[in-house]
Amino acid sequence: MATKVIENERTAMAQHMTRQPDGPGKRIGKKGEISGIGKVAPGGAKLFRERLPQIQAEAAYWETRVGTVHDFRVTLIDDDTRILFTIVFDGDFKPYVADILNEAAPWLDQIFLGVWDGFKGTNDRKSVEELLSFAFECDLFFVRNPDVTVRDVAKMQRLSGAVAELFDAAT
Amino acid sequence: MADTTTLTTHVPTLEVSDIQATVLRPRPSPYLGQYVILRIDDAAQGREMLRRMIPHVAPADEWWVPSLAGWLGIAFTFEGLKALELPQASLDSFPIEFKQGMAARAAILHDVGGNAPANWEYPFGTTDAHIALAIYAQNEQDLQRVLELARRTHHDLAQISVVYRMPFGELPEGRNPFGFKDGLHNPQIEGSAPAAHGGSDAPIKAGEFVMGYPDQLGETAQAPIPAELRQNGTFVALRKFHMDVAAFRRYLREQASSSEEEELLAAKMVGRWRSGAPLVLAPDRDDPALGADAKGNNDFSYADDRKGLKCPFSAHVRRVNPRDALKDDIVDVDSHRFIRRGTNYGPPLPEGVLEDDGAERGGVFLLIGAHQRQQFEFVQSQWVADGNFISHGTEQDPLIGNNEGDGVFTIPKVPVRRRLHGLPRFVAVRGGEYCFMPGLRALRWLAGLGEDAEQTASH
Repeated sequence: MATKVIENERTAMAQHMTRQPDGPGKRIGKKGEISGIGKVAPGGAKLFRERLPQIQAEAAYWETRVGTVHDFRVTLIDDDTRILFTIVFDGDFKPYVADILNEAAPWLDQIFLGVWDGFKGTNDRKSVEELLSFAFECDLFFVRNPDVTVRDVAKMQRLSGAVAELFDAAT
Repeated sequence: MADTTTLTTHVPTLEVSDIQATVLRPRPSPYLGQYVILRIDDAAQGREMLRRMIPHVAPADEWWVPSLAGWLGIAFTFEGLKALELPQASLDSFPIEFKQGMAARAAILHDVGGNAPANWEYPFGTTDAHIALAIYAQNEQDLQRVLELARRTHHDLAQISVVYRMPFGELPEGRNPFGFKDGLHNPQIEGSAPAAHGGSDAPIKAGEFVMGYPDQLGETAQAPIPAELRQNGTFVALRKFHMDVAAFRRYLREQASSSEEEELLAAKMVGRWRSGAPLVLAPDRDDPALGADAKGNNDFSYADDRKGLKCPFSAHVRRVNPRDALKDDIVDVDSHRFIRRGTNYGPPLPEGVLEDDGAERGGVFLLIGAHQRQQFEFVQSQWVADGNFISHGTEQDPLIGNNEGDGVFTIPKVPVRRRLHGLPRFVAVRGGEYCFMPGLRALRWLAGLGEDAEQTASH
């Protein structure tokens, strides 16, 4: 049974937690999270490790195109018998699933096809739904700067670079 | 989980004689008409009404033929299909947003605060809205004829009641209440000639808008079941908006120092001048000739306006139909299009008036598509009610966003962008429903449900 929070100077900074409007996943401000655990297919662990260098090298390309993912982790756990993914992202999750599947299919298939037991590929929408039905929300969630999105960070970086340039020119 | 799709690659011809005219054909201009919402308290009477109604439902191939006095479209809410006693397996096979209804999707659609379903007009968002009729005509006499035909379908059926009736009509020069030329653009649907609008955008696969045909992914809908029900059917997101024209004019007056600047700000918010001329093609001043050119006023892209200096990223038309503006993003713009059938209601606010006269005025939109979650719901939640997709944080659509006096609107400019603050809610949601708009054969199937059940039971 949940115990009551004892108010003190530390709880004064507690963040306002909400949930995704359309499925599992905690949310603080603009940032949301979701995770999933599946079984590793026979031979999947070996396949995953063979593909990993290429998947890793292409990660920045694909996730930059998606444009809303803060971090994404995939790892084999329990002696390579299970696979875990976790994502922290901006905004709503479900509306973008179809677009991400359409556009990042080759990369996602490299990660999950033949590795996640039962997954038949991103072009099999039923299989994708099944994979997503394993998604769950975390128990504890913290994000720093909950209202700052990936795009906001990129914009602030550009701005801060431009301001620095301006100051440099002025001195 | 039901398999909802199969893959097909051929390009079929649309069965325009079976698809309702409202789906494929633009309303006439000038137009007037009425929306009517009915409640069914007895399934047999509901089906009897449907049997009588079907001969008057306009198919897309009989589009304003001289023999038709007007044009009647019919659609059903999930509550309506339940009231007609659609078999449970069929009810279960409908998409989640349709089953839940638009009011239940308020958090997703950002219908909160003043736009929350608690503030909607009856019967929107209640279990009393079952069947929606959209009746269009070219003049009052014709409209009365069609309304009378509709009335006769249920006048002797005590368990059918009219729970809502709303007249609408065209405003002078085909403008919307804010004074902008209306209904300028819709997607081109592959195989649905004649082209409804001009423009250079590539046709979109019919399956995005009508079930029974391949969509952009080459998939053909496999739900709802049975096939007889879904073939040539689609979904309609019906939205009724109130437009606060006086507030819009006052805001422009406050932010601008001349009437020319007011017009420019208004155009920056919309993405088009009042004539319909797009900012991308006419960035500095209105071009009424271009506005009147149905092909020319849609023949543009954002390729030459990557910084939004002509048309702001946040402008209404650039948000709801970004064309090629998001081509570097992962989003597949063509899968987020819908057909828009807009009508206006209420009198125009006289020119120059800055105080609200208390009159109800606004628009009712039928947003039509086979995948509402990807279409209306995506556009509303991601592109209208948020700004992250254009790196604008929580900035909403300046015209139809759910701003509560704290809205902002960014206008890119050199050397420094201009940002307007304190935007109020110019457009308020008065109600909405998700409806299923079946093909004509499917309407007959629905009307025959009871007979089928009796036949099945007697065998």
